[in-house]
Amino acid sequence: MIDTEAIMDVLREIPDPEMPISIVDLGLVEDVRVETNGEAASVFIDILPTFVGCPALPMIENEIRTKVGAVEGVGEVSVQFIYDPPWSVDRISDDGRRSLAAHGVTVPEHGSKLDVPGHGSTVELRTSAIACPFCGSNETRLDSQFGPTRCRMIYYCEACKNSFEHMKRV
Amino acid sequence: MDSLPENLKQPMIDLLLAVADDKLMLGHRNSDWTGLGPILEEDIAFSSLAQDEIAHAQVIYELLSPLVDKTADELAYGRSVDQYRCAQIVELPDNFDWAVAIARQFFCDHFDRLRLRALSHSSYKPLADVASRLAAEEQVHVDHVDAWIVRLGRGNDESKRRLQTALDQLSPMAPMLFEPVDREAELTGAGLYPQAETDMFHAWRDVLQHVAHEGGLALELSPPNAGAQGGRRGHHSEHLKSLLDEMCEVYRLEPGVAW
Repeated sequence: MIDTEAIMDVLREIPDPEMPISIVDLGLVEDVRVETNGEAASVFIDILPTFVGCPALPMIENEIRTKVGAVEGVGEVSVQFIYDPPWSVDRISDDGRRSLAAHGVTVPEHGSKLDVPGHGSTVELRTSAIACPFCGSNETRLDSQFGPTRCRMIYYCEACKNSFEHMKRV
Repeated sequence: MDSLPENLKQPMIDLLLAVADDKLMLGHRNSDWTGLGPILEEDIAFSSLAQDEIAHAQVIYELLSPLVDKTADELAYGRSVDQYRCAQIVELPDNFDWAVAIARQFFCDHFDRLRLRALSHSSYKPLADVASRLAAEEQVHVDHVDAWIVRLGRGNDESKRRLQTALDQLSPMAPMLFEPVDREAELTGAGLYPQAETDMFHAWRDVLQHVAHEGGLALELSPPNAGAQGGRRGHHSEHLKSLLDEMCEVYRLEPGVAW
């Protein structure tokens, strides 16, 4: 008998292709449903994309199909990308936050407001309230809103002279 | 609602084509800068903008797909020029003039954000869900281009002069972004595209002027003439054909084949 918790255990082992964090800790998994008709169970998984243009989505879908499909007793695996509710950085788990910070990626605090320079009123890429993940200093500044992936921005720490990445508040 | 009233399908198809076609062409123009951005960060930024816009177009084409019984690829690459519904401003080549690229982005991104925010309140739920996600992403584009407008405006005499020239060049054409698609008012009446027509233009003009003035730049914008026909009705500049010839070159070799 397969239950949703058994499927979640499999999903917890699937890493995001672009970050040191599982897709469950990243908050991508919205719903798992298992329907048993006769011999094989059908599994339906709803995934929330971080950014619509994220090239990792087909990889994530394939990985889920392969790993969940390999569970004994599972027949059909259906992966659907949905937009309600929208993914948000607030869905990242505490474990996920620690793992990201250890790799130099910071995450906006739960429930915080937009932390990119204000709309229509900014020339200076000003000193930010975002603490450096390496030295803890707040003498950091936004270097670029566009980073190595669509969900991350590049910051620079004036205190320890390191670049680090910060996840966009969406 | 999860499905559309039969009599409003056609105007909704035109509206969704307008949204997706604007994004596809603008994304294609953004990608012209890949490898040629004036600084490394900006090369990455314009490539990221292209990645976003083309992905946004794809999601909208996928919403359209069951309504027109065509795949997203067929919609993106398989139409004749007069079947596209993009505004003419996204078709223009910028000829690698950074000021023109930024000015165009300024007009288009602000319009796109307002349109997506309106659509996020659509009574057609599949569209509302997607639009509210896209609107959040579009905000990043708007913040980015606003910073450039102010920076170039306050930069030096040359940057200010070149950006002012680009704004003056594009401002007569930019309001045609607001040209309605055929029967658009019926969509608004039915709550499918909730907006107050004049309000959206004024909101757009006000925020653009606010940012331009912060950069010490002048910007005059008038609503499009009632009855003026442009891209939303299939009337395009000569640039769209050459853009499509380039963009669709591979697709046309063997339509439908999986590459």
